[in-house]
Amino acid sequence: MATEGAGNLASGSWRVELGSCAGQRMLSSERLALPDYEYLAQRHVLTYMEDAVCQLLENKEDISQYGIARFFTEYFNSVCQGTHILFREFSFIQATPHNRASFLRAFWRCFRTVGKNGDLLTMKEYHCLLQLLCPDFPLELTQKAARIVLMDDAMDCLMSFSDFLLAFQIQFYYSEFLESVAAIYQDLLSGKNPNAVIVPTSSSGQHRQRPTLGEAGMLEGVEASLFSQCLENLCDRHKYSCPPLALVKEVLSNVQRLTFYGFLVALSKHHGINQALGALPDKGDLMHDPAMDEELERLLAQVPGLVNSVTAGSEASCLPSRTPPRVGSPWRPLHHIRKVDAESDGSTEETDESET
Amino acid sequence: MIPGKYRSVSGRATNNVNCGLHLVIQTSSLPEKNKVEFKLHKETPSFPGRLLQHDLERNYSSRQGDGRVISPSPRNKSSCISSTTNVTELCGLEMKTTTSSFSAFGDSSIQTPSKSRIRQGCHSAGPNVSGEHINLVSSSMPSFPILQRSSEEKILYSDRLTLERQKLTVCPIIDGEEHLRLLNFQHNFITRIQNISNLQKLIFLDLYDNQIEEISGLCTLRSLRVLLLGKNRIKKISNLENLKSLDVLDLHGNQITTIENVNHLCDLRVLNLARNLLSHVDNLNGLDSLTELNLRHNQITFVRDVDNLPSLQRLFLSFNNISTFESVCCLADSTSLSDITFDGNPIAQESWYRHTVLQNMMQLRQLDMKRITEEERRMASVIAKKEEEKKRESHKQSLLKEKKRLTINNVARKWDLQQQRVTNIATNQDGKDSDSPSQDPCQVDGSTISAFPEETGSLDSGLSNALQGLSVTDTYLVEVDGDTLSLYGSGALESLDRNWSVQTAGMVTTVSFTFIEFDEIVQVLPKLKIKFPNSLHLKFKETNLVMLQQFNALAQLRRIDQLTVDPQGNPVVSFTLWKYYVLFRLSHFSMQKINGTEVTQNDMIMAERLFGILAHVASSELPQYRLISILGDARKKQFRYLLESKGKKPGIVNEENNDSKRLAGENTNRATLNYTTRDFYNEKLEEIKEKKKFCKTYIEDLVKEATEINMKNEALQKLWPQMFIELVRDAVIEIRNKNSYMKLCLQKITDQK
Repeated sequence: MATEGAGNLASGSWRVELGSCAGQRMLSSERLALPDYEYLAQRHVLTYMEDAVCQLLENKEDISQYGIARFFTEYFNSVCQGTHILFREFSFIQATPHNRASFLRAFWRCFRTVGKNGDLLTMKEYHCLLQLLCPDFPLELTQKAARIVLMDDAMDCLMSFSDFLLAFQIQFYYSEFLESVAAIYQDLLSGKNPNAVIVPTSSSGQHRQRPTLGEAGMLEGVEASLFSQCLENLCDRHKYSCPPLALVKEVLSNVQRLTFYGFLVALSKHHGINQALGALPDKGDLMHDPAMDEELERLLAQVPGLVNSVTAGSEASCLPSRTPPRVGSPWRPLHHIRKVDAESDGSTEETDESET
Repeated sequence: MIPGKYRSVSGRATNNVNCGLHLVIQTSSLPEKNKVEFKLHKETPSFPGRLLQHDLERNYSSRQGDGRVISPSPRNKSSCISSTTNVTELCGLEMKTTTSSFSAFGDSSIQTPSKSRIRQGCHSAGPNVSGEHINLVSSSMPSFPILQRSSEEKILYSDRLTLERQKLTVCPIIDGEEHLRLLNFQHNFITRIQNISNLQKLIFLDLYDNQIEEISGLCTLRSLRVLLLGKNRIKKISNLENLKSLDVLDLHGNQITTIENVNHLCDLRVLNLARNLLSHVDNLNGLDSLTELNLRHNQITFVRDVDNLPSLQRLFLSFNNISTFESVCCLADSTSLSDITFDGNPIAQESWYRHTVLQNMMQLRQLDMKRITEEERRMASVIAKKEEEKKRESHKQSLLKEKKRLTINNVARKWDLQQQRVTNIATNQDGKDSDSPSQDPCQVDGSTISAFPEETGSLDSGLSNALQGLSVTDTYLVEVDGDTLSLYGSGALESLDRNWSVQTAGMVTTVSFTFIEFDEIVQVLPKLKIKFPNSLHLKFKETNLVMLQQFNALAQLRRIDQLTVDPQGNPVVSFTLWKYYVLFRLSHFSMQKINGTEVTQNDMIMAERLFGILAHVASSELPQYRLISILGDARKKQFRYLLESKGKKPGIVNEENNDSKRLAGENTNRATLNYTTRDFYNEKLEEIKEKKKFCKTYIEDLVKEATEINMKNEALQKLWPQMFIELVRDAVIEIRNKNSYMKLCLQKITDQK
């Protein structure tokens, strides 16, 4: 079945896009089962097509000068590299998981130096940094991320860059999922069983435990196993991206009871989830980015000189470093990392490597 | 009986207590003026019945000694004041005031020679002859002594009677002396004026140093002209109604608190109210003849009504509590006043005191006992003029300052209101952005704006001067002070449209914004750049700077050397990174100071270290189509050039383009970090939304079409092998019989022909 044929415009790029977006749960057999249109929509191909056309419309005079084909090539290349989200509006940045991961990665790359410098910043300051990349980034998300780091209290506290980044990753990438989780958690806290309708068998067991739950109300949080079951159900029917269920279960299996924020902290600190998400390097390597450090050294070398040399230098630096996507390709090193654990996960997302 | 010349000490005593009144009463009939002898009869208070005779005869000098004992302090001598006026004939008595106070002091004496014989009536001791002079005989009325003089004395001093230092506690009944004109009760213990109503010819009544508590018993003494009541216990001026011809009224050293009941005394020339408890001077009208008013040693804080005294020449206000000239300003309106004293008042301590008084009272000849010279007067007028000018100027200044303060307050209040509104909207917007971006925040905006309508005041042009071009309005303030342009309130931004003189505009190097939304400032920055090309220092206070990205907007200016962002109303300053971000983003200005602190090389390196990568990522990794859309029109050309040169030979830089680029001055890798104001950004989002909608339907149609074609294609692909086989089979069947097929073909060919 030649679904890619729909993308007459730049068929080469389409394949890349489809590959990089292919989720773990979607096997090629399933792809055949879906009508073409729905399939494209689900893979977010339509999102990018729409956006490409939109961008084209916005700058049609300029783009028509250097070629529409060139524009589409560049567009889909940038999508693959994850640079397409820079300075874009929030609605676009959060539109697809790929965009979210790209944003997270861009944020990490751009402000790694801030973390490296050792500065502890407030939530508001992190928010400002986010807004440098996305001018209309909502405060709410930053606040929620800060709540994960600070365990829901003292919102004015200072946070380290890596703590914030990892928490923010979870919050931003899985924000819809987390909202559902929060609802479930609240239900469990108040004694309702959110699974009652969906999984009647398990609920009957839970009902007997209710009194103990009430007594345990003195204790903080909810019981891990029950929570785990609920989350399993949620992951099954959730249409947004959720963290790999196995890893969630792993997180929950270690404890008896846990609070909502405890759960989020555990998620944010779990390196498997970080790897599965694939936007950021491991926590230990968060401050590590040799390519960029090299670049930074080069930039710093220009600072002590006077303004003229800086402008001239930047001009020169602008030209060569702009073009080759291969050198600074932000996705590339990560994909190698991902390939390793992707194999262990048995997911099917390597197809994209063929094109870039 | 030895005829004695009694020297009255009343005049001196008054002098000594600073009443300022000098009476020289001389009897013209007396040939031996200078020879003063007197005899005194005293009785000890403990033995009222007995008449003891003390040193009956004393010479003048010894008496003088006594007199000095009476006088409170020698200091007061110098401040004695005398009146310079005419000599009044008081029926045989000559009342004289001399011009020189000092000489008057020496001369002042009331010589009232008298021979009298008093008989004092006393219950216990009975009438005792008191020496040879006076017999006080107990009268028929038990409590009052009756005075009787020898007929001899009566003849000699028919019109005067002196009862000095007689330890009298009451006024004796004076019989058969209806012709008396002068009566002296000095230094007794009299508590009540009585028994003298029959002395209707009395002109001179001296009750100095007694214990009188109330003025009374005088209503019949219509011809009384001199009434001396100094050093008594009078609390209230009263019962003077019938004393219409009163010439001198001495009430010094009493306990009077207000001036009252004197308005009918139109002949009164001298009024002495020194050493009383007056708190103010008032109620003086009617005193048409008053030439001298002594008010020393009271507690006067203000003086009124003095301008209603047409003859007043001397006014003594020493040792009171006058502290401002305003409280005595009525003095300036008096035309007759020529001599005044203020010494011992707070006002006299002021530096401006003397010339202010002189300037305001041109008619003065003496101030504080000092003659006023022409020179002094000139000086005073010059100083006063200057003072006046200064005052006017400072008044103007303070008026301006006050107005400015009010305006700023007003602007601040508006700002606070607005801030609340803005934060509300901001939260609304954030909420909306996150869950339903399709909502229109402008509606909220519009409704709240109408709730706080802007007042637009008119320019107050009248108060502007050369140094301070001030235009004050209700809702905003624009001020140019030296090299600083200060703008308060968003309305002030409109002033940038005004035609500023080249000089003013050139002088301004500092621009300060207060109570203005930063987003509004951003919109006028291009104007600022044109109108004030030399502005190097920007100050922001209460401008709602909350995000680092807002600093991006400043990059478009020509030059900034200094940036001052007040933490008040600018939360961004609380961030640890803000300074570095400013340095990084505005690095092309090579700024010297941020918030007053010098920028060091280390700061620059730090800034680069923190944000260099951001710039690098922004410039090198941004796809070209994005670069174009992000950079403004001005930048587009530049980048077109970049694109072109990249297409040809990267690295070769055209000279003129290089120049144009340097003019722009900004790092291109930073240019992508720009700031669009919230409103503008929302507009842009709206626009994008529209486009998106269109794109969505367009792509939808396109994809549907494509999938349809694809489906047909797929169907065809599925059918095609079968179809092919069928076709081949048909063909094979057709040509199976070669001969008949050939025939058929030939037939066709021939048919065609």
